[in-house]
Amino acid sequence: MTYQPLNLGRWIIWGGAALLFAAAPHLFPGGFALTMLTQMGVMILFALSYNMLLGQGGMLSFGHAVYSGLGAYVTVHALNQIGAGTFYLPVPLLPLVGGIAGLAFGLLFGYVTTKRAGTTFALISLGIGEMVFACVLMFPGFFGGEAGISTNRMVGQPFLGLTFGPGIQVYYLVALWCFLGMAGMFALTQTPLGRMANAVRDNPERAEFVGYNTRHVRFLQLVLSSFFAGVSGALSCINFEIVSAENVSAIRSGGVLLATFIGGVPFFFGPVIGAIVFVFFIVALSGFTKAWLLYLGLFFVLIVVYAPGGIASLILMQFPVIRAGRWRELALPYALAALAGLVALAGLIGLVEMVYRLSDQGVSTVLQLLGMSFDARSAPPWIAFGAILAAGLASLRAAARRVGERWGAIQLELQAQAAA
Amino acid sequence: MKSAIELRDVHKSFGTTKIIFGVSLQIREGERHAIIGPNGAGKSTLFNLISGRYEVSAGRILLHGADITNLQPFEINRKGLSRSFQVTNIFHNMSVYENVRCGVLWPAGYRYSFWHRVGGLRDVRQRAEEVMERIGLARRRNTLAGTLTYAEQRALEIGVTIAGGASVVLLDEPTAGMSRTETAQVVELIRSVTEGRTLVMVEHHMGVVFNLADRISVLVYGELLATGTPEEIRANPAVQEAYLGALHKEAARADGSHA
Repeated sequence: MTYQPLNLGRWIIWGGAALLFAAAPHLFPGGFALTMLTQMGVMILFALSYNMLLGQGGMLSFGHAVYSGLGAYVTVHALNQIGAGTFYLPVPLLPLVGGIAGLAFGLLFGYVTTKRAGTTFALISLGIGEMVFACVLMFPGFFGGEAGISTNRMVGQPFLGLTFGPGIQVYYLVALWCFLGMAGMFALTQTPLGRMANAVRDNPERAEFVGYNTRHVRFLQLVLSSFFAGVSGALSCINFEIVSAENVSAIRSGGVLLATFIGGVPFFFGPVIGAIVFVFFIVALSGFTKAWLLYLGLFFVLIVVYAPGGIASLILMQFPVIRAGRWRELALPYALAALAGLVALAGLIGLVEMVYRLSDQGVSTVLQLLGMSFDARSAPPWIAFGAILAAGLASLRAAARRVGERWGAIQLELQAQAAA
Repeated sequence: MKSAIELRDVHKSFGTTKIIFGVSLQIREGERHAIIGPNGAGKSTLFNLISGRYEVSAGRILLHGADITNLQPFEINRKGLSRSFQVTNIFHNMSVYENVRCGVLWPAGYRYSFWHRVGGLRDVRQRAEEVMERIGLARRRNTLAGTLTYAEQRALEIGVTIAGGASVVLLDEPTAGMSRTETAQVVELIRSVTEGRTLVMVEHHMGVVFNLADRISVLVYGELLATGTPEEIRANPAVQEAYLGALHKEAARADGSHA
């Protein structure tokens, strides 16, 4: 088993990413898609900055929203001051303000949190998160209380003809900063500090015996990460034109953990996938169903249990098989598993939605699904959806076994070939 | 003559259990020094005290004449002392090359830099290549350390330890668990990589000890029984009585079971 750093495809990947950022609004036209794409860009940056801690530094933080949120608060005040004419800064440079604010708070809080690693770090980060959230509500003068502080991004002279009124201009601003942030964070993984952050994650004791103060490594890693978190906070401020206590909340901190994990903590690009899926759940799914958070939670649990390396690991697993030209053998088992999964999902959705119909006061108990109506107060739909779920799960089990057998056989043959 | 390492009446106890009772020892610059003793004598504890892994209960430890008592492991390492571990302690999820590089980065002056591209540091790469060549793992450079054979991992352990060019090297049972041929290779490896440095090692294998060491210290139940050249130690009646005879038998038995 050998490990080769990916060098050849690097230019293609980064070029492709830039192209995708540029083309996305044209591939997915419409206002709704644009809203979603903009939020995805912000979330990608946030999740990548979070993975500098979790994935690269081995620091499980429950308070990362502190840095993005406080960055957003400073940005909203800067934007309002620009609006009031106190000073002038072109709007496209505001993310720098957020980044520097995030970095400053990283210096302050990180000094405390990174004193310890592991569980203690996680608990201190949780405590700091709660503390900042409480402070935000305690000082409405600066933080605007529950309602938060609103702003107007169309201030000052248009910058190169850009007013940032239209959503498409905001999208490209987010896309540009997201791309720069991605490149910056990737570059950081290739520096002595970045490599030693991995070393400290894997074996802190050994790192101490090759001359590194592990606390210092964690601290610097966190400070750099909080800069990018601050940039993402500033972008969210520009996008929504409002910053409230929610921006620093534990919900936000938990969300970025969810997104990063779903995408894949062990891989640099994992959080990108995770952020896209996460925003899709929040923005798209929440329009369809009140149970979206439940679905997100279930999805998260499935990933944690069955694919702890996230979606990225599932994708990367296929590459050796594709390269060996053996993917075709897996196509049928995969298709059957997907079909069984869809059946189970249909049953599950039916049950979940009926539960929500029953619990929701004043809303009709009739569920409309695929042009059919089901009354949650009658027994037959419960029996039907239950049966569909059971059948789906049973066939999924069988299909998964078949995938596993085929997969195992291919792996064995590939290993035998590699050894020969 | 200045000592590379000097222990002055060092004590260590864990709670009420005393492990080291007043060890005083001078290890000269450039010598190869072995610490031997039966299991539980406190040899590894002594290493952990010198390298900063444990705090000293009483006494002083000096490195090149400077007090290093109770400094942090990374501070002691930066002063030029590097150690290996009895239980292999490497970065399992990194390649051989990256492991060695971890040992090179700080002494090469790149410290916590986040403005250098690590792949572009020619001096670091050269040094890492050189070390890999010396420990015989150049052809395994891209292999994940966790997937190496046991003997290769032990060699890498030594490689990471010496990569930074420390002037004093502590090796904790470098031949533990190795076959006879592997042991012979490791002895040659140790001899070559510690050329011009001070070596202190804990070792159970008497063949290795008498072959490599310029001087030997015998530690029994937390106390230093004797220090001297291999000939002196071999001829020392107290050592023979307390330890060496029993160990010779033990070693003979172990060798017999290998063959």
